[in-house]
Amino acid sequence: MSGVKKEFVQLLANYGHVGFTFVASIVIGLGGGIYLDQKVFDDRTSPWFTFIGLAFGIAAGYKTLLEILWRNKEKQEKPKRED
Amino acid sequence: MEHPILFISIILEKLGLPVPHGLVGHTFLEQLCAPYMTYTWLVMAFLFLVSKLTLGNLEMVPGKGQNFWELVIGGMDDFFADNMGREMADKFFPMIATFALYIAVGNLIGLIPGFMSPTSSLNTTLALTLIVWISHHIIGFKEHGLNYYKHFIGPVWWLIPLLLPIELISNLARLLSLSIRLFGNIMAKETLLAILFMLAGSFFAPLPIMILGVLVSVVQAMVFVLLTVVYFSQAQAHAH
Repeated sequence: MSGVKKEFVQLLANYGHVGFTFVASIVIGLGGGIYLDQKVFDDRTSPWFTFIGLAFGIAAGYKTLLEILWRNKEKQEKPKRED
Repeated sequence: MEHPILFISIILEKLGLPVPHGLVGHTFLEQLCAPYMTYTWLVMAFLFLVSKLTLGNLEMVPGKGQNFWELVIGGMDDFFADNMGREMADKFFPMIATFALYIAVGNLIGLIPGFMSPTSSLNTTLALTLIVWISHHIIGFKEHGLNYYKHFIGPVWWLIPLLLPIELISNLARLLSLSIRLFGNIMAKETLLAILFMLAGSFFAPLPIMILGVLVSVVQAMVFVLLTVVYFSQAQAHAH
């Protein structure tokens, strides 16, 4: 592969999964909240755990997003230090 | 969405074996003859035979086949060492490189008419993801012992109620996103190709999607391997 094409594929691999990971976090959080509300507490606490789970899910989504950004920032800074 | 022609299924049916008409069968033999299983074995046999034929006798001055493998294996080794360090790369190279080759070949095989990608079934991708997910926790426990829980509670004690659920959710989300991303991309590619082939196959309508399919196959294999490497190195690193 030529240089530009290789870089393109690597960029796609690094950032192409951002959207999906974000959505997966929110789905897991919301699903956990709904499960707690409907199955564990038998609708007595509805809708509170759903909202709490949704909030935690969104927070987890942003956390994974920031992790991806920090990881690639570190990787970009490393070669400069070696110079 | 059924594929038009899957030649292994036709051969098996001629041999009198029960091939399921849905996605998975009901009896054990039917499950073994499901298309994603038979094509998984085809990919395994392909990788085994090709490497056996090209690397049967290693030479100091590499020929064509050996040259190709040296390029592939060397490139992957450099990639792993860049992302998780020399020591980890040496330790886990066989596992992750097998995943890379299997997923790449499994994705690309679906572009040939008459073949099907084994990775376009959620069963295959979920199995791969579970192996990665469980082994990254095993690496964490082996490296840190019981102190591994510090990865999940954040830097200060009064943030624990906030950070523990967030860390747990984002860890579970890895399981979901890693499996469904690979499955979704490949399944979408296969379905789109089948529909275009039915609609306008004689006008070569699937050709542009096939070119995109090559890119998607390579990128998805690379994403899976990159994320595996990242999870392993994060589990091995010290807690922040």
